[in-house]
Amino acid sequence: MRATLLRYGSVFAVIAILLLGVVAYQLRATADDELPRVQLNANNIGPRQIEDLTSKSVPRDYALAWQTMEQALNQNQPGLLDGYFTGFAKQDLTQRVNSQIKSGLHTRYTDRGHQLDALFYSPAGDAMELRDHAQVDIQVLDGDKVIYDQPVTAEYMVLMTPGADRWLVRQLQAVNGTKP
Amino acid sequence: MRTLRTVAFIFLAAGSLAASEIHPPAQATAGKAITIQTSGSGDATFYLIGPAIASKSKVQAGSDISVDSDELQQAGRYIAILCASDGCTSADFFVTPAAANRLSFLVHPSRVPVGTANGISAVAFVHDNFQNLVLKPEPVTFSIMPNNEKPVSATRPSQNGVAWVRLTSARKEGPTKLGASIGHADEIRVVEQVAADACNLRIKADREKKDFEIETDPVHDCAGNPVPDGTVVSFTESDSAGKTTVDVPIKRGIAKIDMPIDGRAKITVASGVVTGNELEVSGQ
Repeated sequence: MRATLLRYGSVFAVIAILLLGVVAYQLRATADDELPRVQLNANNIGPRQIEDLTSKSVPRDYALAWQTMEQALNQNQPGLLDGYFTGFAKQDLTQRVNSQIKSGLHTRYTDRGHQLDALFYSPAGDAMELRDHAQVDIQVLDGDKVIYDQPVTAEYMVLMTPGADRWLVRQLQAVNGTKP
Repeated sequence: MRTLRTVAFIFLAAGSLAASEIHPPAQATAGKAITIQTSGSGDATFYLIGPAIASKSKVQAGSDISVDSDELQQAGRYIAILCASDGCTSADFFVTPAAANRLSFLVHPSRVPVGTANGISAVAFVHDNFQNLVLKPEPVTFSIMPNNEKPVSATRPSQNGVAWVRLTSARKEGPTKLGASIGHADEIRVVEQVAADACNLRIKADREKKDFEIETDPVHDCAGNPVPDGTVVSFTESDSAGKTTVDVPIKRGIAKIDMPIDGRAKITVASGVVTGNELEVSGQ
């Protein structure tokens, strides 16, 4: 009787572990696909006033830019940067991904949100400068081994320019940062 | 004596087992090499993660690590990681932009009517030699170099890496150069100043066999600049049968049209929002 209980118990434990593994994998996949939370404050923007539509599209496209950047750095796929990056930002990030591939590294982000302050909107509406107060957890992995794991609060200066149907990140430069 | 030897041995053993540490400078300048100090001993792996780099190299813990200038060209946050037999240790540091020496200069529009108040905007983004945005205030000199006239310049300090001005276009048509300079950077853009809307639009009519030839005087804007060829002028004929409008582009400074007119008719002319004189003609 005790032996049967033990046998059924161990089978149940194996199934539970497998189920938990599947759930954990699914949760990670969902986190990868989840759009980072971005809040835009355009109260101090100038000299041009932000249009209603632009005030919606800038945070949306910035969130999508971060999402694709995080995926590109995690999966080492530079092609993912094509959608929402251009100019120096795309050039630097592509170089970073290629460098990661060469070194066998990848970077995993857990995005805890962005507070975006719009600072400058050019009179012709062709460039916007913003300051991002970002909170992310960064893990650097060499193969499967975690070599760095830190929560980071960082400030970025961001330059965005309008493309055909979206705003693109042209410059993304960390200017300050602390570990909380 | 024996106790002393034991204590010394413990200290030595503790020293050799001390955890590896890494000490990059708190701040570095873009494009300048640095040395990172480490402690510990034995074989180790050094990783440098930055905005455009993720490198990995074998080092000896406890020795200094040299990071080349070309690995530190992008301003931003860098992570230095040292992994030895006792685990991994890391430290963050920032690379700040080098001296301002480049500009991204945006001028809008490329064609502007003469005499348009604040019609031209010029925006300069200040960069260093490695295209990093230089955030500390820097004086940017904007200049206007009209044809056959003295250049005029004004200096504006950059704020968060951006300086900008708004300018009124000149009274005379033609190309004008706009410049922005900082350090060794001197960027120039050309804006074409074109005639504004037509002014004092006037027409005259001549009988040509059965038809009337309606022709404008040379079309100018209010500053006397000829309105460019291709600008549309609308001629409207109103008679007892109704109204007929014909759009004609200006050719060689004037717009003209042959109109068949029966009986009495009024002819008016307009270009854009500007209207001209009215003629009364009488056909056969």
